[in-house]
Amino acid sequence: MKNHSATKRFVFHTKGVCPPEIHFNVDDGNIKDIRFVGGGCPGNAQLVARLLEGKPLKEAFQFLIGIDCRNGTSCPDQLATAIRAIRDGRLDPADSFRIHKDTSPRKKIGLIGELQGNCIAFEQILHNTHDIGVEVIYCLGNLTGNSPRNKELLKIIQKHNIVAIQGENDWRYAHGKEGRRLPALDPQDRDWLVRLGHVLCFQMRNKKGIAFFGDYIQNLPDYSDFEPFALEMNMVCGLTNFMQDETVFPALEAMIPQFETDIILFSQIKKWEHWQVAGKDFISIGPALENNRLNWGFLEINDDRIAFNVMEIQL
Amino acid sequence: MAESVKVLPEDIQKIIEVREWDMRTREGVQRFRELKAKSLPSVALDGELVYESIIPMQEELIDEIKRRHKEKNPHG
Repeated sequence: MKNHSATKRFVFHTKGVCPPEIHFNVDDGNIKDIRFVGGGCPGNAQLVARLLEGKPLKEAFQFLIGIDCRNGTSCPDQLATAIRAIRDGRLDPADSFRIHKDTSPRKKIGLIGELQGNCIAFEQILHNTHDIGVEVIYCLGNLTGNSPRNKELLKIIQKHNIVAIQGENDWRYAHGKEGRRLPALDPQDRDWLVRLGHVLCFQMRNKKGIAFFGDYIQNLPDYSDFEPFALEMNMVCGLTNFMQDETVFPALEAMIPQFETDIILFSQIKKWEHWQVAGKDFISIGPALENNRLNWGFLEINDDRIAFNVMEIQL
Repeated sequence: MAESVKVLPEDIQKIIEVREWDMRTREGVQRFRELKAKSLPSVALDGELVYESIIPMQEELIDEIKRRHKEKNPHG
């Protein structure tokens, strides 16, 4: 279900220009919060956003249409294309959270919890996962934290094509809401973070899985309880308090037949734990560094059964 | 569960107000936790959890509603 509040959020995938996406909101017919994401001229893009802030779509369109920069189009022209697509009913509001799909079926997955800018931890874990023979590594959010090496870590993650989702810190950086408690980060890195999924969807043989960081997703603007995987998140975050309240497991069991997925991974509570309830696997991924020890999770499927182990690396 | 309430006789329907909570939603989950419920289906009367994991027999539910109504309206 798409959002139905007065403000609608749009994500437009561009063609022929530097930024691959344009994000903006439409509030009562007026364009707001324009953001050219992932490239281009940040200064000019911000100017366009400021000049058009709050203008009616029709008026904004007149300013934007027909400007040429390259390939017969430009960032403003692409925004005009997006507005036209909304007008013609070809561009729907975006879902309130972004789902990244790993389309390759997996048998052995390495899971890394929050790294908080710890490059050394990441590289050591990476080395260890290669020794074990995992097919893919998923980083479950909070790549960034109170570390001077956030940028360096993001660069390494990109270099190794690691699949990562946003944690709350990453979301804060992506939206410029990190406040003073976290060190500064370049606009390019923020743009990279904003394009990360909030939820990762994956497949292990006949089992479908999702991974998400935690309950910040439920507080995203326009979050809908009826979007794909919202039920799983509502049950984990809200009903069971991240599986910490076992007294409500009977209710969880009653809701599980409505689940779309079989494996549910989350990482907010900084614990390593595995629960099996009504045939579903719920796994909490702890932090990468804990008590002078590095940890990562090894998820494997054998004969359609999920095996999960916490791998330790002593420092 | 709501079905068992909807089919209550008209004289009972007149004295009750029914609110159904959808457990798929955050609002439903919040209400479930406020009531300190543990399983589904659950029925609360006057904000008090009365039936858990069972759908009460209609007569039992009617008697309980009437009892509570009488308590609140001793002269009614």
